Amino acid sequence: MGHLLRIFALGMTALVLAMLQTTTPPYAMLTGPIKTAGPQSERVTSATFAIDVATVKQARVLAYDQFGKAVELDTSGMWVVVSAKLEGFRQTMSVRAATLIGASGRRYRQSQRAGGAPDVLASKIVQPGLPTTGLFFFEIPEDELSKMTLVVSEQYDPQLQDEISVSLTPLPGSPQDRLDIGPDGI
Amino acid sequence: MASDRERKIRWLSLASLSVLVAAAIGINAWRNVDEYRHRIETDVQPGPTEPDYAGATWRIAQARLIGDGRDTEVVLPGEMRLVIVRLSATATQTIGEGWGQCEVSLGDGTGRRWLPLDVVLSDDLSRDLDPAAEPLDGCGITSLNPPAANETATIEEKFVVPASAVLALSVTLSVGALRPAAIAFPLGLDRS
Repeated sequence: MGHLLRIFALGMTALVLAMLQTTTPPYAMLTGPIKTAGPQSERVTSATFAIDVATVKQARVLAYDQFGKAVELDTSGMWVVVSAKLEGFRQTMSVRAATLIGASGRRYRQSQRAGGAPDVLASKIVQPGLPTTGLFFFEIPEDELSKMTLVVSEQYDPQLQDEISVSLTPLPGSPQDRLDIGPDGI
Repeated sequence: MASDRERKIRWLSLASLSVLVAAAIGINAWRNVDEYRHRIETDVQPGPTEPDYAGATWRIAQARLIGDGRDTEVVLPGEMRLVIVRLSATATQTIGEGWGQCEVSLGDGTGRRWLPLDVVLSDDLSRDLDPAAEPLDGCGITSLNPPAANETATIEEKFVVPASAVLALSVTLSVGALRPAAIAFPLGLDRS
């Protein structure tokens, strides 16, 4: 009888431990981003910042002036340029991390090749009470364009910080061959 | 068969395990809380007197509002304004590394907080505003070479703020070793 009780107790202990292990959220989830999502047609607001996506354009060649010299950037895929307005609420911050999730679910970070373009949002400082406009630049394969989501946060892989996802409206028509970026954006 | 003594030791070991686990969690949590407290400013001592803090007596030497065309001819677009704050600190003792992780910020009493511009932009603005004068260092750089006892240092920080917040602005200063303790002064700027 004593042996049976011990085996039962051991079995119950193993069961409880297995339940605890399987239901414990992973550390990455516990300390992951605080997510907010919304469509492009709306201003999407988190506790620390908000984003308004104004326009999204696609082109095969990007063109802009850098230090008085004309720059043209082509790509084997497609340039996607997102024009947006950011507003910070609590503290001076920057929104350095922007990722575009394509139709396949693959994630594309901002292109560093267009880092010298005018009005790059990722290099701007967002001051509370002073909304800032600018551009995010991505290079993605053409077959990813049918469904895209923009994900922005202060830095990549945020922990216990706000992360905003914006479902982008599908782009109408065919992409333009060349997109000129002026001092005031697109 | 285990003796009574062995059985007692076994149960004592099991019981002590729970105490040890609780103690380990407690110590770890205490360390994390202590580390977090050294990053926030919750114990803010307001001015406008000249408080002793971090081995020095502090006061506002100058606060300028730029961008509305009054202090200089510069007019900044829309709500954007530039605030330049100079703080004067007279060391009352040897400071050494006591000003490490020095932070200066502006707040408007509603929870909004503005951080200073970076060193490069701040120096560029100083040269634009007064080409003849050498730009003053901010708190971070001054902390590497603080004033000796009874000497005075002036630090300067620049902030970009909305015009609507100017009236309510106060400056807060803290150093890593003394946080969450900090000192604050109202700027007393007039935007009319």
